Amino acid sequence: MTDGGMSGGIGFAAALAAWDAAAPAPARACGLKVADLLRGFHPDHRPGGMVQLVAGPNEGAPCPAQLAALLQSDSLLEDVDLAGATILDADVLVLGGGGAGCVAALAAARAGARVLMATKLRMGDGNTVMAEGGIQAAIGAEDSLQRHFEDTLRAGHFAADKALVAALVGDGPDAIRWLVREGMSFDLADERQRMGGALLRKKPGGATAARLLSYRDFTGLELMRALREAVLLQPGISVLDGHPALELLTDDRGRCGGAALQDLGQRRLVLARAGATIMATGGAGRLHLAGFPTSNHYGATADGLVLAYRAGARLREMDSFQFHPTGIAWPPHLEGTLISEAARSAGARLVNGRGERFVEELAPRDVVASAMLRELAEGRGVGRDGKLGLFLDTPSLEREQPGILAQRLQTLSHLAHRAGFDPAREPFLVRPTLHYQNGGMAIDTDGRSALPGLLAAGEVTGGLHGRNRMMGNALLELVVFGRRAGASAAADARQERPRNLGLNHLAGWRRGLLAAGLGLEAKGPLLFPPYGNVTPQDLRRHAA
Amino acid sequence: MSETEPAGTPLRLVFDGHALQARPGVSLLQAWIAAGLPLTENVGCMGQGVCGACRVLVRRPGERIAGTALACEMPAEEGMQVSFIDHFPARRPHAYDLSALTDSWSIPDQIDAVFPEAKHCRHCSGCDRACPKGIPVQRMVNLAAEGQVFAAAELFDACVMCNLCVAACPEHIDPAHLGQFTRRMHAALTLRPADLMQRLRQIEAGEQPIDLDAPGASPPVQT
Amino acid sequence: MKVLTDPALCVGADLAAWMARGGGEGLSRALAEPASIIPVLEAAGLRGLGGAGFPTHRKWSAVAAQPGPERWIICNGNEDEPGTFKDRFLLAETPHQVIEGALIAAVATGAAQVVLYVNPREAAGVLACHAAVAAWQAHPLAAAVSAAIGQALCLRVVESSGHYIGGEETGAVSSVMGGFPFPRLKPPFPFEQGVNDRPTLINNVETLAHVAHILRHGAAWYRALGLGDAAGTKLYSLSGDVLRPGLHELPMGTPLRELVFVHGGGMLAGKAFKAVFTGGPSNTLLTGADLDVALDFESVRARGSRLGTGAMIVVGEGTSILRKTAEYVAFFAANSCGQCPPCKIGTHQVSRILERLDTGAGRIGDLEALENLSHMLPGSGRCGLVDGAATVLASSLETFRAEYEAALPRG
Ligand SMILES: Cc1cc2nc3c(=O)[nH]c(=O)nc-3n(C[C@H](O)[C@H](O)[C@H](O)COP(=O)(O)OP(=O)(O)OC[C@H]3O[C@@H](n4cnc5c(N)ncnc54)[C@H](O)[C@@H]3O)c2cc1C
Ligand SMILES: Cc1cc2nc3c(=O)[nH]c(=O)nc-3n(C[C@H](O)[C@H](O)[C@H](O)COP(=O)(O)O)c2cc1C
Ligand code: SF4
Ligand code: SF4
Repeated sequence: MTDGGMSGGIGFAAALAAWDAAAPAPARACGLKVADLLRGFHPDHRPGGMVQLVAGPNEGAPCPAQLAALLQSDSLLEDVDLAGATILDADVLVLGGGGAGCVAALAAARAGARVLMATKLRMGDGNTVMAEGGIQAAIGAEDSLQRHFEDTLRAGHFAADKALVAALVGDGPDAIRWLVREGMSFDLADERQRMGGALLRKKPGGATAARLLSYRDFTGLELMRALREAVLLQPGISVLDGHPALELLTDDRGRCGGAALQDLGQRRLVLARAGATIMATGGAGRLHLAGFPTSNHYGATADGLVLAYRAGARLREMDSFQFHPTGIAWPPHLEGTLISEAARSAGARLVNGRGERFVEELAPRDVVASAMLRELAEGRGVGRDGKLGLFLDTPSLEREQPGILAQRLQTLSHLAHRAGFDPAREPFLVRPTLHYQNGGMAIDTDGRSALPGLLAAGEVTGGLHGRNRMMGNALLELVVFGRRAGASAAADARQERPRNLGLNHLAGWRRGLLAAGLGLEAKGPLLFPPYGNVTPQDLRRHAA
Repeated sequence: MSETEPAGTPLRLVFDGHALQARPGVSLLQAWIAAGLPLTENVGCMGQGVCGACRVLVRRPGERIAGTALACEMPAEEGMQVSFIDHFPARRPHAYDLSALTDSWSIPDQIDAVFPEAKHCRHCSGCDRACPKGIPVQRMVNLAAEGQVFAAAELFDACVMCNLCVAACPEHIDPAHLGQFTRRMHAALTLRPADLMQRLRQIEAGEQPIDLDAPGASPPVQT
Repeated sequence: MKVLTDPALCVGADLAAWMARGGGEGLSRALAEPASIIPVLEAAGLRGLGGAGFPTHRKWSAVAAQPGPERWIICNGNEDEPGTFKDRFLLAETPHQVIEGALIAAVATGAAQVVLYVNPREAAGVLACHAAVAAWQAHPLAAAVSAAIGQALCLRVVESSGHYIGGEETGAVSSVMGGFPFPRLKPPFPFEQGVNDRPTLINNVETLAHVAHILRHGAAWYRALGLGDAAGTKLYSLSGDVLRPGLHELPMGTPLRELVFVHGGGMLAGKAFKAVFTGGPSNTLLTGADLDVALDFESVRARGSRLGTGAMIVVGEGTSILRKTAEYVAFFAANSCGQCPPCKIGTHQVSRILERLDTGAGRIGDLEALENLSHMLPGSGRCGLVDGAATVLASSLETFRAEYEAALPRG
């Protein structure tokens, strides 16, 4: 790992003794202004971490070097590859089978479109199913859409698109009702009052009101289960598992008209042609930016960004990523796996190797993560078997609220069990993990990108979260914008049909790469992280 | 993912025909990756144990009946034989339209109409044995067949959609889908939170405007 | 020479006709000299014809040696495996020789509870058995059996559930006790703990059918019926790409070539002989190089396969082994009882891979995955079902690997 300056730390045994002696941990003042803390310690600001894009719609914009290399890569396909490929036709093509893809497919199909959903892994295997903490919607009597709106903007350092945020928070309550209609459950304040009671609300980091709705600590699983069944049972949707998009198809006017998919099972190319295409390929955590571990699923390799960018769609805030404060630091076989913010929402504290609290645990995530990275950099971390982290004080939490681990933090307890210890007796060793891509494809409130025929929803989009996402807004986003993009796509598909489809955008793209002195050697998208031991070229080489 | 990890005697196992070595403590999925084998399916959340994609059949040395597991959760052990199991979609979908399900008095009939096989459970317990999450699947099936929707739904709380129970059931009951049917029915027919309904009414009445130019919607003026 | 299928003995449920043709003699001798029954069977070299070929006298003496008055006999007529169609013939056409064999077993083992366990899908057999049992109940020999064992003989027909798995011995036990025919782990074996946890003798219909003849004509006569070292006759169920498929009673040890080319009339449409699924779809395949094999237990075993039930499914050139294997594994997958995940899910996985290879949708790595499963599945369930599937898979993969490789995607 390359994250600089983190050596040593305090030995595990000594740190444990310090924690034990001081518990509940006394707070130490931060002594740094938030802006300075972020500038000094947030990975987005690492010196040398960013490069400038030199080709494509965002030329001149900063972007992490690893991502830039992919964004400015050449296609895996040539025109000749399209000859003889299997052709499938649909009104709407959805790329990605996570939450956003499923919601968009349902919305488009219910608006009368014939939908084809192509996904790299299996429908449901994405970041959505992994979401633990919850989904935001301003439903509390003391809360309001306006507060949700302002909280989101503030947490994102006012970099978000206000119209998008207004659409997001404005549709929030209706999105929850939509999910209930699809059969998703939510926790209630009093489980006996299913009719006329109140939803259980928690306060997400950076919020001014309790607004986080949840289903235990596996909200994403509950959401994805309902959506998966809904998609399977919805007439008009065909699902292609194991069919990642390798390239978008464009017509001679530059309009997007579908995608070239790689059939992983059969190792052959499939051309999916459609009147409208919805990008819902999720995030980029598996690029392991700056060498960080990640909480993301295996397929989070920024493919959608690469394809859309190459075809001419503009991206935004590509230099901003969210590092979740509490990824597992030890044991190594669980490294990067997320411990939900629900633990901190419930009152669990972060403690350094000296037994001190060093940050307000429910401050925005970028602040908490930066404070943690500072502790590690300045030698106050806890070292165990070569891994460095900080304590998440679950034993004190259990002492203060007996039973909470077993009843409300099941996923956390399950993880501890797999790590081989009892979270009621021993604290977790955690450190920030690469979690969320704050930026992404620029869209309008209907989910349309600047490239005609291409829409987008979910984590692949940018503009909703500015430079830092609030917990619970990503799940909300995928429902709200999945519905919007699905409906828009169904409408668009009824109008113009692409003609002379092919890889029309590539000639110009390649010219641009060469003009920028980049060459055509680097290929993208990545599809799988390097430790998956397979490159897209390998997959193509075996093509029949 | 390159840091030195504590060494131990390597474990030997056979995974989909490949003899491989693994460090103690790693999961089966990590052992596969570390052996340099290509991974393009049977993977999802990589260790959180929630997506149910990495299904395997596992046989330990000296163990008679082989079992099923999730490769991201099952630690590698000496002498194990492992095989990935494809995702089997249900043979024929048990089709229903949740939004058409409005008469809650007819729930037992609806379950029987959509999942007629459920009442033919032969009590083989294959589903219980196959479930990597330890869910009492068979009991859920039996409760659902009796119309005990809430009790059935509750038992399926921790289901991760691996569909191993679907592959396991000789009566084609498709327990995972039946479980979701009860869960979805439970939510869609009975969850009516007053706070949510109030807020929706306010929004529909125009009482929740959003002011894009409110003071809180812009950065505080620096002083 | 036809013994079991002698047309003269095909009298259906007519007990008087059976008695008129020498029926009852074997049982009478058994009653006269109960202690000699098991030694005679041993001398005759009778082995189980339900698949495993276990020496019959050893099973009988094991049951006879168990303590306690309650003992059971199950006459296993569940027959449901693809390619085997012999027991249904015996039960429908000549049930008395089966029943007489079962009654001799009752005398030898002291079991008063005798069950004809029949597959309800074979309606003719079920009807014949009911009528035949009723006839025996009124016959003085039945009373003599009761007297000999000191308990009232209870002879009855129990219809199985019709599931293939109900033919497995512990599955049959469970079925006779009124449950679903779930097999269970052995030991304990049925001879120690079967029906009601009591000692239970389970024999195949064909095995028992031989018994009356052996007792009547003697061990030497029986041995002389077979060729070479093999004893008796055997009902071969011949099917597949031959001109005259059907049930052939021939001397045990008849060469495969003779069965196929003489009795079977040769290969269908002049196709070349390619292979044979011996003993049904759950054993190792034999090929053209094995046409000289004598079809008896030992000779077939020496070629690495098993005689099994004596089913011979012949495959000619032009018929895909991959397709056949896929069909058989699909049969096992569909008929797994569900108790053991490796059996149900493992056979299902194999079946899926074979199916996709056969339909041109194979994937790189499929052969390795199949080989891996063929190694890890044997012995991984409670009963032998999964072993059968794994054996036929391993065999066809090894012997006809080229067919599998041709089905892989190019690359
Ligand atoms: C551990 C974890 C916890 C989280 N907790 C919360 C939370 O509590 N609250 C919250 O609001 N948010 C949370 N998030 C964020 C949120 O879950 C995600 O941002 C959101 O679910 C993304 O949804 P999506 O549909 O856009 O992407 P995903 O769900 O990741 O789906 C992406 C899909 O695209 C497919 N795909 C990828 N590449 C290709 C390609 N080339 N071709 C075709 N398909 C492709 C993938 O296989 C997958 O099906 C969490 C995220 C993680 C990782
Ligand atoms: C899956 C399976 C199915 C079987 N089906 C039958 C059957 O239908 N009939 C039968 O006689 N034996 C069947 N057997 C074999 C029996 O378990 C048992 O060995 C046999 O009935 C004993 O009789 P025998 O000693 O006379 O051969 C089956 C075995 C297995 C593993
Ligand atoms: S209930 Fe079925 S689908 Fe759910 S986790 Fe268990 S085996 Fe998998
Ligand atoms: S696998 Fe099917 S038949 Fe067997 S117990 Fe479970 S639900 Fe019942």
